[in-house]
This record gives sequence, structure tokens and C-alpha cells, in this order.
Amino acid sequence: MEAHHRTAIPSIQLELRFDNQPIRTLTVQHVTWSKFLLWLEGNRSTFSHGRIALCGLWKPPPRAMASPVSVYNSNALDTHISSTSRESLKMELLSDVSLLPGEERIMDKDVMYMCPYNGAVKGKVLITNYRLYFKSSDADVAVMLDVPLGAISRVEKMGGASSRGENSYGLDITCKDMRNLRFALKQEGHSRRDIFELLFRHAFPLSHGQPLFAYVTQEKYEENGWNIYKPIEEFRRQGLPNNKWRITFINKNYELCDTYPTVLAVPYKSKEEDLRRVAAFRSRARIPVLSWIHRENQAVIVRCSQPLVGMSGKRNKDDERYLDLIREANDTTKLTIYDARPNVNAVANKATGGGYEGDEYQNAELVFLDIQNIHVMRESLKKLKDIVYPNVEESHWLSSLESTHWLEHVKLVLSGAIQVADKVSGGNSVVVHCSDGWDRTAQLTSLAMLMLDSHFRTLRGFQVLIEKEWISFGHKFGSRIGHGDKNHADQDRSPIFIQFIDCVWQMTKQFPTAFEFNERLLLTILDHLYSCRFGTFLYNCESARDQHELRSKTVSLWSLVNSKMENYLNPFYTPESGRVLYPVASMRHLELWVTYYIRWNPRIRQQQQSPVEQRYKELLALRDEYLKKLEELQLSDSSPSPRLANSPAPNSSTSPSSPPSQQYTHLHTPL
Amino acid sequence: MEFSEHIKTANLEDVVLRQPLHPPSRGTLCITGHHLLFSDREEGCSRQVLLLLKNIDAIEKSTSGSSGTITIKCKDLRVLQLDIPGMEQCLNIAYSIETLSCLDCATEMYPFFYRPSDFGLQEQWGLSSPEKYYSQMKELHDKWRLSTVNRDYSVCPSYPPAVIVPKSINDDSLKKVAKFRQGGRFPVICYYHRKNGMVIMRSSQPLPGANRKRCKEDEDLLQAVIHDSDKGYIIDTRSSQQAMQALMTGGGFESKSCYSRWKRLHRQIERGKALQESLIKLVEACGDESHNMDRWLSKLENSKWLSHVQAALSTAGLLAECVERDGHSVLVHGSKGTDATLLISTLAQLIMDPCCRSLEGFLALLEREWVQAGHPFMQRCAHSAFSHARPQQESPVFLLLLDCVWQLWRQFPLAMGFSEALLLRLATEAYASNFGTFLCNSHQERWAQGVIKKTHCLFQTLLRPGERDQYCNPLYESTELAIWPSVHPQSLQLWRGFFLRWTQQTHHLAETQEKMRDMVIKWEKLALS
Repeated sequence: MEAHHRTAIPSIQLELRFDNQPIRTLTVQHVTWSKFLLWLEGNRSTFSHGRIALCGLWKPPPRAMASPVSVYNSNALDTHISSTSRESLKMELLSDVSLLPGEERIMDKDVMYMCPYNGAVKGKVLITNYRLYFKSSDADVAVMLDVPLGAISRVEKMGGASSRGENSYGLDITCKDMRNLRFALKQEGHSRRDIFELLFRHAFPLSHGQPLFAYVTQEKYEENGWNIYKPIEEFRRQGLPNNKWRITFINKNYELCDTYPTVLAVPYKSKEEDLRRVAAFRSRARIPVLSWIHRENQAVIVRCSQPLVGMSGKRNKDDERYLDLIREANDTTKLTIYDARPNVNAVANKATGGGYEGDEYQNAELVFLDIQNIHVMRESLKKLKDIVYPNVEESHWLSSLESTHWLEHVKLVLSGAIQVADKVSGGNSVVVHCSDGWDRTAQLTSLAMLMLDSHFRTLRGFQVLIEKEWISFGHKFGSRIGHGDKNHADQDRSPIFIQFIDCVWQMTKQFPTAFEFNERLLLTILDHLYSCRFGTFLYNCESARDQHELRSKTVSLWSLVNSKMENYLNPFYTPESGRVLYPVASMRHLELWVTYYIRWNPRIRQQQQSPVEQRYKELLALRDEYLKKLEELQLSDSSPSPRLANSPAPNSSTSPSSPPSQQYTHLHTPL
Repeated sequence: MEFSEHIKTANLEDVVLRQPLHPPSRGTLCITGHHLLFSDREEGCSRQVLLLLKNIDAIEKSTSGSSGTITIKCKDLRVLQLDIPGMEQCLNIAYSIETLSCLDCATEMYPFFYRPSDFGLQEQWGLSSPEKYYSQMKELHDKWRLSTVNRDYSVCPSYPPAVIVPKSINDDSLKKVAKFRQGGRFPVICYYHRKNGMVIMRSSQPLPGANRKRCKEDEDLLQAVIHDSDKGYIIDTRSSQQAMQALMTGGGFESKSCYSRWKRLHRQIERGKALQESLIKLVEACGDESHNMDRWLSKLENSKWLSHVQAALSTAGLLAECVERDGHSVLVHGSKGTDATLLISTLAQLIMDPCCRSLEGFLALLEREWVQAGHPFMQRCAHSAFSHARPQQESPVFLLLLDCVWQLWRQFPLAMGFSEALLLRLATEAYASNFGTFLCNSHQERWAQGVIKKTHCLFQTLLRPGERDQYCNPLYESTELAIWPSVHPQSLQLWRGFFLRWTQQTHHLAETQEKMRDMVIKWEKLALS
């Protein structure tokens, strides 16, 4: 039997077809039959309905010789379709668009897509209440675009009725996801008026009193992603409450702080009226509350906004005492306050009533982390876009990249988080704030938590981290992204969350086995940060979400992710529960995230993206098969292995037989 | 050759060694004819450092009071520091290292002394040769033959004894062609493209000189290559201006009028001194530990190393495109035909030929295209980036090749059968090695020195069961398709695994890669059993 399975099939190229759609090609020279069956097994959900066929494949060698570099097709959002038959195009160009439940066609139109890589491409554009879809009508230049309207930041008319020159009349669309689109239309008869108005209305529904698509969609998923984060459960997992920290519901009606969540963890010794007095001294009442506690040394990460010191240097005894309570909770001799801002900015904030903790805070030291504000980050990413879209800077790429300062900002955020994590793992409690405590503060606390707590490095744990530190603590997603809002020049917009995801990506590159999720998850998160298809990133804070009944009326992004988890898993993930990850925040070890920032350029796109993803899925299947066999072996063992019993500690990688996919076992501490 | 006369102090106690990735340790230093040996005298955790003196590129000594410090900069980019008690001892040690690390007689080098206990010298030497390639490629036999015109190395001192040439060209003609090519490197076949029967040939520049001499046999040879197809391409790895200038010094290029069916394409590949300087700048930038790191990307750009990588990969892509897409044979050469020429032909084969991408295939390719084809390893790798010695023939062409292969490996994580660890091992071995593989400058020299009889073969060793596992790529899934690299600057990365090799982060990543490889092996063993 074994020998039979190992028999190699003669080297042939096979094409795997599913419902007559080519899925992938295989060279059956090195692939043994059993390996192939295993792969099929691993993709069972994909192939559960329909016919699978294997066909011999022969491809004539292409003759064209244009540039020394060839372009591979990959399965990114816009796809240059390689094999579209003319027949299907003749039938109906847009008939094969698969719409989401609740998505409605609004209009279609013949246009020219001014593709920066292929020149003017004739085709048809379809606009729905969710997306802009374009498909070329010429099979030789197969271009397809599929852009969620939420990703559009600006729609402008280009040229006038009297503009001269070919294709000079049409629409210019600026997107939030590092690309621009340009469509040319026929000049006669105001041909662009209707498309402009419809696009404008549907891309910016909030500016037109219309609901966002997340409120319209009828999508259903196996899992309800809204259940992923339950604040009290998460506190329990961390071992809270305990005799130093308590859970308070003082904000249950958002009366204390309208941008905070309802459930907060505060020092056990603090009274509710203390909290109110502290709230009066912190910008927007964002009082210091616990984000994370170290299980062994009980050091904590506390987050808040700046104190309202002002020009006159006001003091607040309650605030000072409150911070001292935080210090006392684990007998830290000195509480470290990390002010994310550059020193000068913190000083300048005094003029508008803000400021930083001065010497009156005894037993506390203040450290500035030199991270720039949202405006600087916005301009930096804009500069980056200028050198990567539509055409990439060729001759002085590295110095141009340097002059955007984007990687330098990433470095500063990471190194700030490293300092926080290092302090905490050394047993010292820290307080983190910036001005309002919802941008840089969220970056620092969440990255430090990712370094300190391996639970957040799992697929579900990472969702909890985002739900907790970003969404529930009021990172102003609505304002920073500008969902459904036409005001593209709004000074409140800023890529703070993108920068955070970039930092996470840098960490996954430096620690390829430490994260349960893969790059695709990060890309998916960023795509739906804009798309408005899910409720996850909508609005600025919990009170606004409650007011708009977000959780009952929209679908969570985690519903999509957790219903198809195998797409987002890293086969090499090895849980190491106690391990603190310290990434290197040196420019030499940071890289530009090319697969995100330059993904629209077909010439730069990561080579062979889809075979790699496929191979990773095979490895996942192989790993699962391995785990299954391992379990069988252990079961057949006469004496039951003690590790299989309900051991509370997550396995560590040091034991050679530890199954890497085992989920974290939560410790339950009674409330 | 008495090594002992260069060793005034052989053993020294109480030396402190500082090296990357380890805490400083105190122990005994020992200098032998080929090694620097340091052994930790701490109880319980005895550690040894065994360093080939040949690996040392430069040393710096400083003395203060009665003790001295020697900083050792290695060709594998490691920097070590020895704190030595006693000034005289310090100077003695420094003298020994300086002298013994620069010995340039091959037979005095360590490969001639290396005698591992577990295998003897009778083992097979080498993996591939033109003879083997010819006998494996039955398709070649129609139109091509194996010529032994160079069996005594008299026609071309840097060629191996047997080479593959067009069948219709006899040995007498080859002798005449050799006279018309620099260093006698007449055009030979180095690759046969099975899909369409096209070939890659390589040579050195022709020698028309200022008075535009012609050589009928040379023209006939090239004509014989393309008899069926309509034309061929010549990729000249110099700019057209450089090729013109070469006429003045007796060299030149294949003129349109004499080689009418061949189209010349000039693509300048930097080599020699310029490449060496680029490496020095890059290594300097990488080693700059000063706090002011905000100019890192500019420094990286100024070193121009990545532009050399880009030029090499895009020229190789062009060559592969001519053969694979356009269906034409190609002749590639620069001036000497021992550096950039080999770089381009090797990369083009990796792009087109899946057989070259397996572990064995890649090593065989290196053996044919670099060792046998006469890349002067000894001259090129005499020094690396730290040396203060007057530069002579040093040039990191082979390192550039490995970097380009790494870029391919990174862009096509499934297509290569070998791992980054292999490329790192080769980068180290080329400069300092226990094995004879990279000794000498040509086949002739190796034969004369008895390298094959008296040293061990690196490539054979790498393929032994215990070793080869370390060098396999766990993601490997052979593809028949060509792998066209993206050569935009955005797609190319600094090879951190090599250039930042001795940093904690790179070290950690290398360990993680090993772990991932072992995981896959473990899964496959059980899941498919």
C-alpha cells in the first residue's frame, strides 16, 4: 500500500479544473499522488460542490518580446485576466460579475479606462451600491478593476466639453488605497454627468443622507464576528479583577467619557468619585485605565490622554494620587509615563490647555517617544504614494523612499512600543498617552501587547487586540478614514491604523513562526478598513456605534475571516506562550511593505503570489494530517499522555511533539 | 614551507575574545599554520572558536600600556576583537596572522591539509563537467560535438580539457578561433535549451583591434551555430563605448559587416575595481554602528551594489528572453569572458532551466560555469571588503552572483530546491575553505597542483546525507516554467542574510528558517508514512 502510494507518476503537466475553471497547474513529477490527495483534502471546502477534472496541459510558448521582464498574474483585487474567451465577451461583458447579497446594479456605461500600465483600455464600467467594476472589452488587453466605492476618496471631472486631445474628457478618481483611476468618456452630450453624479452619491453616502453599504448588505456567515471580543472575558483571561485592579461600570452610559468603552479596569483602591475628578483633568475625560497586565510580575500598561496642565501649569492632586495608585499596585518604585509625542509638541500643547506630567508627579518619570502627529503621517504616506503610483521611482528609489520618512516613522512607533514592552516585562508599570490618547497611544499599547502576550498573535487574539485597543477605545476610524464622506481634504484623516498594520507586518517578517495569521489577513483588514462592507471599522467610538445600532444591523469583518480561517493561517505558527518578541527597530531591518503599497503595479507585484499561497495551504493540510496521526499514535499509546489531559498552560515549542495549532486554553478567574 | 617560522607566540593564556552574538569570554588563544583557535576556559560551558586564517581580511592592532588589542575583520564580514595581555605577545600574534593569512601558494593552503576522519580522499571529485553535460544531453549530439583540442591546455589555458562546439567546426579551426579571442577563450556551448534547441554560448572578446582584423574561422563558427534559424544575438556585457575603446587595445567586438546574422546588444555590467569599491562602500554602511542611522537608505543607494544586482538580473533576463521567448541562440561575452560573462550565462540558465534549480543542479551549474569555466577564484577572492592591501585582481563577482540568486530565490520561494543557507555557505567557502573546490584560478592550475587528488570536494560534501538536509528548501515545488525576475529597484532587497549576517536579528531569522525546514520534514515523515 505504501509502495503503491509512493509510485511516481511520469512527469506531466496537469491542469486541475473545478467546474471547468482552471484552478491550478501541477507538475506531477515531484508531486506524489498521496501528496496531491492530501492537498485536495485540505481544500475540501473549496471543492465540496462541483466536478473536479484533471486535464493534460500544453501551452504554446509566448512569442512577444517587449521588455526583459515579464509580468505574472496574481489574484489581487484587480486582476489582469489572462484567459478570457472572446465568445463570453460578446455575450455580455458584465454578466459574470458576482454581486454580494444586497448589492444592486445602478448603472453601466462604455468608457475608456486610462490604465497607467496598458494605456487607454476600452471597456464597460458597472457601478453598484457597493463597487465600481470595470472590464475591458478587448480580450487582448484583459484588464479588470473591482474597487469598493468605500475606497474612493475623491471624484473629479477631468477636462471640459471643449477640451482637446483624445481621452481628455472624463473622470478622475482618487482612492484611499494607494491608487488613482481615470476614465475617459465620449465628449458629446454631457456623457459623464450621470455617472459622475451617481458615483458621487454612492461613494459618499453619508454626505447625501444615505446609509453606508454595511447597513444594506444581506451577507450571512457561519460565525458571528461580533462575538469575538467580550471585554469582561478578555479581562478574565488576563487574570482580572484581582486584589489590585477592579472592573468598573462607571461609564456604562458613556457619562464619564463618551469615547471610552463601557467596561473599564482601574486600580482597586480608586473610588468612583476619584475617577470623576481625574476625568476633569484629562483631555476628553480619557482617564488612565488598564489595557494589559503581566501575569507574573503584575506590571501594567495603562492608557489615557494628556493631562490638562495648560499655560498656568495647573495641578490636580487626584490625578497625581491616581497615578501613584497605579504605581503601588505592583510596588513599582517608579512609574514610567511614555508621552508618545516629541517633547516640543508636548510643550506646545500647553497653549491649548494640554501638556504633560511635571515634577509634581512624584515617583514617576516621563519619557518622550518622538512620534509625530497625524498630519505628519498623512503627508508622509502621501509622499510615498507619489513615488509608487502610478509609476515607481526608478533611478533614485532608495533616497526617494528615505525622503518620504515613512519607514522612519514606522521605526519610531516600533521602537516606542519596544520600550514600553521592555519596561513592563521588567516588572515596571507604565502609562502611555499622547494628546487625546486615541492614535499614537493605540499604536503603542497594541504593539507592546503584541510583543508581550502571545495570545494576541493568534488569529482570534489579534482580532481581540484590534477590537479592544483600537475600536473600543475610540480610535476615530470614522474621521481618520472618512467613511462615506465627500470631504477628501479633511484634516482629520490620517493613516494611523495603516501604520500600525505596517508595524505588525514588519514584526511578522522578523518572526515568521510567531504569528498564527498570515499576510493575507493584514491585506484583508486594510481592504475592508475602507470598503464599508462590514461594520467593524465604522464610526469613531462605542457610543456612536450603539447609537447607530451597528452590531445588530451590520456584519463584522471577523465573520468573513473566521468563516474561512484556513485562508488566513500561517502553517509555520509555533505558539510560544511566555515569549516576548522584541523586533529590531533599526532602519536596516525594516522594509517597505511592497505587497501592500505597490500592489497595483503589475510589474512590481510579488512574483508567484498565488502558487505560494497555494503551497502554504498544502502545508497547512500536511500539518493537520501530521497532527491527526500524532494524536492517533498518542491515543493508541496505552498510558494516556498527561499533556493531552486538561493542562491549562499553552504548549511551548520546546517540546518537540507539541501540536502547533492548539488553541490557547484560557484561565478562568472568577469575577 | 615552515609555518612555524612565522609563529613566535603559539599559545597565549588570559586572552579576552569579543565577537558578535556572544558575550565576551576569557580563554586561551592558539595560532597554528592555518587556524586561530580560541578556547574558553570557563568551567562547564567550554566554547571553542576555530577560525581559518585565510578567512581574515584585515587586522588592526592597538596597544595601550602593557596590553594590546587586535581587531580581526573576516572575509565573511565577521568582526572579532582580541584583548591580549603583554604588548610583545600582541605584536607577535598580529604578525603571525598578517603573514599566514596572506599565503598565496595554493598547496600551502588548508585544503591540502584538511583530512576529516569520516571520509577519505578516494571519494568522487566534482559533480559535472562539459563531458558529463554532453553525455547527458543526447539532443546535443546531432549538431554539436565534444572537442578535446584543449586537452593539454595549450589552446586556452583557462578552459577545461573538453568543451562543446559545433560539429562542423574542426579542431584546427578552433585553434585559429582561439587566437582571435582574448586568452584563447573561443565560443563554446554552455547551455542547450531543450524546448527549442537554442543554445547559449560564451567566449571572450574577439581581437579585431584598431585595424579591424577578421578571422574567417571565428565567423564560420558563429555561422555554424545558427544554420537553421535566421539570426542570433550577441550580448556584450560592456557598453558600446567600452567595446569601441577596446579596439584601441587590440580587442573589440563582432562588427555588423562581418557577422551579419548576429545582432549585438550592449548591456554594461560593472566588474573589477568598480564592483570591489561598491562592496567596500556597502559593507562600510552595514557596519556603521553609529547612532545616526537616518541616512541608511541613501548610503545603501550610494554603494550602488543593488544597481549592480539589477543590471546583472535584467541582462540575464534579456538573454533568457532571446532564447526562451524569441527562439534565438545567444553568444555572451565581455572582455575576458571570465567574470560578467559567467554571471549572465549562469543567471539566464537559472531563469530558464528547472534542472538548474534543484540542489544538485545548482551546484553542478556552478561547477561547470564557474569552477571549470575558469573564473579566477583565487585572484578575485584574495581579499574582501576590509582589506587595506593594495587592490589587485579582487572583485566580488561570485558574491554578486550569489546575491542575484538570492533575489531570485526570494521572488520565487517555491522554485528553488536549495535554501538561503546554501548561498551563505558558498559565499563563505569561496573566500576561505577546507575544501579544494574554489582553489586556484583555472582547471589547469588545479590539475598542476593536484587539487583533485589531494583535497576534498565541497560540492560532494554538501550533498552528503547529513549535510544536504540543511540546504534543502522546504517549500520547493519544481516548476517547468521560466522564472522571470522583477528587476525594479522596489523588487530588489539588500541580502540581509549575508550583509547583516552577524546581527542578532539575522541570526534569529536564520534559526527560524531552520526550524521551519525541520517542521516540514517532520510533517512529511509522519503524515505521508
